[in-house]
Amino acid sequence: MAVGLDKVKPEAITEERQLIVDGMDISGHWNRMFEQRVIWDYDTSQLDRVTDLPGGESLAWCYGCAKCTGVCPVDIVGDYSPRKIHRKTQMGIDLFESPDLWLCTTCRNCLRVCPKEVDMIQIMPAVREQAVLAGSVPAELQKAFEDTAKHGNPLGQPQRKRADWIKKAGAPVPVLKDVKRPVDLLWYVGSYPSYHPRGIDAAAAAARIFHALGVDYGILGIEEKDDGDSQRLAGEKGLFEMLAEANIAAFEKYTWNRMVVTGPHEFNAFKNEYPKLGFVRPIVHYTRLLVEYLDRLRPMLTKPLNLKVTFHDPCYLGRHNGEYDAPRQLLRAIPGVELVEMGRCRENGYCCGGGGGGMWLDSFTKAHTTMRLSERRVREAVEYGADVLAVCCPFEVSRFEDAAKSTGHDRLIVRDILELLDQALEGQP
Amino acid sequence: MPADTILIIGGGPAGLEAARLIGDLGRKVILVEKREQLGGTPVAESYAALTHGFRSAEEAMNEVIGAVRANPTVDVRLGSEVVACEGEAGNFRVRLAKSGNGAGEDLHAGAIVVATGFQHFDPGRETQVYGYYEYDDVITLADAEKMLKEQKFVIPSKGTAPERVCFIQCVGSRDRQIGNEYCSKVCCGISSKQAIEVRQQVPGAKVFIFYIDMRMYGYWENEIYWPAQEQYRVQYVKGIITEIIRKGGRLLVRGEDTTMGRPMEVPMDVVVLAVGMEPSSGTKEVARVLGLKQNKYHFIDVPHDSLDPTATSRPGIFVAGAAAGPKDLDDTMAMAGAAAMKATTLVARLARQAA
Repeated sequence: MAVGLDKVKPEAITEERQLIVDGMDISGHWNRMFEQRVIWDYDTSQLDRVTDLPGGESLAWCYGCAKCTGVCPVDIVGDYSPRKIHRKTQMGIDLFESPDLWLCTTCRNCLRVCPKEVDMIQIMPAVREQAVLAGSVPAELQKAFEDTAKHGNPLGQPQRKRADWIKKAGAPVPVLKDVKRPVDLLWYVGSYPSYHPRGIDAAAAAARIFHALGVDYGILGIEEKDDGDSQRLAGEKGLFEMLAEANIAAFEKYTWNRMVVTGPHEFNAFKNEYPKLGFVRPIVHYTRLLVEYLDRLRPMLTKPLNLKVTFHDPCYLGRHNGEYDAPRQLLRAIPGVELVEMGRCRENGYCCGGGGGGMWLDSFTKAHTTMRLSERRVREAVEYGADVLAVCCPFEVSRFEDAAKSTGHDRLIVRDILELLDQALEGQP
Repeated sequence: MPADTILIIGGGPAGLEAARLIGDLGRKVILVEKREQLGGTPVAESYAALTHGFRSAEEAMNEVIGAVRANPTVDVRLGSEVVACEGEAGNFRVRLAKSGNGAGEDLHAGAIVVATGFQHFDPGRETQVYGYYEYDDVITLADAEKMLKEQKFVIPSKGTAPERVCFIQCVGSRDRQIGNEYCSKVCCGISSKQAIEVRQQVPGAKVFIFYIDMRMYGYWENEIYWPAQEQYRVQYVKGIITEIIRKGGRLLVRGEDTTMGRPMEVPMDVVVLAVGMEPSSGTKEVARVLGLKQNKYHFIDVPHDSLDPTATSRPGIFVAGAAAGPKDLDDTMAMAGAAAMKATTLVARLARQAA
């Protein structure tokens, strides 16, 4: 009878201890029982399967320089990078069935440095789409897909409650169907700011700031649905198209000049993906909008916070859309904030692990890496002596707060920039 | 009557060699050089030893310059540029301008050899690569040549001898994003040559070369690569560096050791970027003035189907050296010889036909 490794206590597998399995003494030899298998052929059919897909072509271009590995956030906590994916696929390993398929967060740091432009942002969704069609999807991601399809948001909350957060806003939040007039700004709130308790904190802060600044805006309320972009990157292109169609119809029902977006993923969706479906309108992330209002906002920021703050660049605001300065300008405008930069910042910013579907693959990723990307990032923030880890992506607050707890760094405060601005605003308790 | 003078543009290795050969045939040559000195990049950029052969660049170049200077049929015009050109093979009318004061001169030439060379890739171009403008101790091959020539290979920020030196290959070459998709051919050899020189001058230093592929074609393999590894103990590591970060007063190079499949984060005192070749500003300008077709990378285009590696898109105008693409000195000198012969035989043929 064979004994599976899961039945052997790890501490028994050492050189010192004696280990006898089925009467055979394998003490100190357990890891030398297998000879390396000789490579006797390269089964290129797996690579062909990937490169035959529209979007998958560039995997074949890799010439193995390994620049990607040096900046891949997943490799830092595991054994993964585009170079390794190319090599494994070239060896005949099936990417469609491999856990590797779900580890990429589409953070774009590999593409930034790749001399051959091997584009994981195209490759991963293309292969994942096939895996989704074949029903080969990690269960937790499948649940997020189903919740999104059923409720219009990946949290599985009822659509009719999407605007309930405004009761907690502490400021009037105009909903477009009640406003009945054109507005300057359509504020796309997003799923996490609408439903997640910590997201609601940021949304409420935004509402108070907009009110204080006299911003003319309206929200879609229960007519708003998830943008669907992260689901698309995780392989659910059909779901994305369905959501996009519904959102575009809702956007076009009302008259507005510009759309302000809370989250970088949604910003990316409306700026870069929805135009492919015919929706081309001016889009702005809230950090850039508030920078436009900074002359008016600055005198209102009267309460000093006296905190050492570091800023985490969201991949989809920074690398994907080139915005690095607006969040920093806002943080510097807050009295008493000392801004410190982490080693991995701006173009080389580390990834929180939430992009490309990673938001809904937490347990899966954890099982295949040494630690969560968010945990690695929290450790870096602490290493640089920050009191506060500031963010401006709704995925991140909960991710980093969980990571701060799980790594024992409970003292690290995680705040959306909106919350910090709101806290410094005059008249706030 | 066709003109019998041959105009050579560029006073670097290729232009000098072409001028020397045509002059030795007793024919009239006008050699135009934009700089105030002859010798091209090896002299202007203070090269140390030549790759390969390890001969002093200054000494070798002085020999070629001396031969040109001593030849009475070669008319050298320093500080001059070609600003206009019309006509055709056998009858080019060229306008020359003195750099700076704009004084002009009209020439008549039967054939033209373009030898305007290359320039080193600037690691600060477009995107800041490896913090070249940020870190004093990140230098280029050209910077290293100067230090090696002066026998003072030091940590630039400290002025002391380095303990750990590395070279990063393919900087500005083989890169679709930068736009230079070609291999610059010589950087593997030059890095290895410099690694040997560093080990000769600073025997206590550990020297690493991080590479994607070592492209040591022909004799460069046995004359440079193997001695570097075997005699001078230069450590070759397959896997390119992605980024350089500063930690504790030292530079940390980060990347992947690909044969081990493991990440690396290695401290260094000096990092040398093996920058590749780009067409020089003179090459691009001369191509424009002479109306020569340039390839995708703005080197002068050679129609390869003609089996003539010195031909350009305009009959009667020939190209030699790195103006036509990355080239080592052996190939440059050989090409200069071929271009000299093409230009000379063309002028002779046209003269025969006219007679």
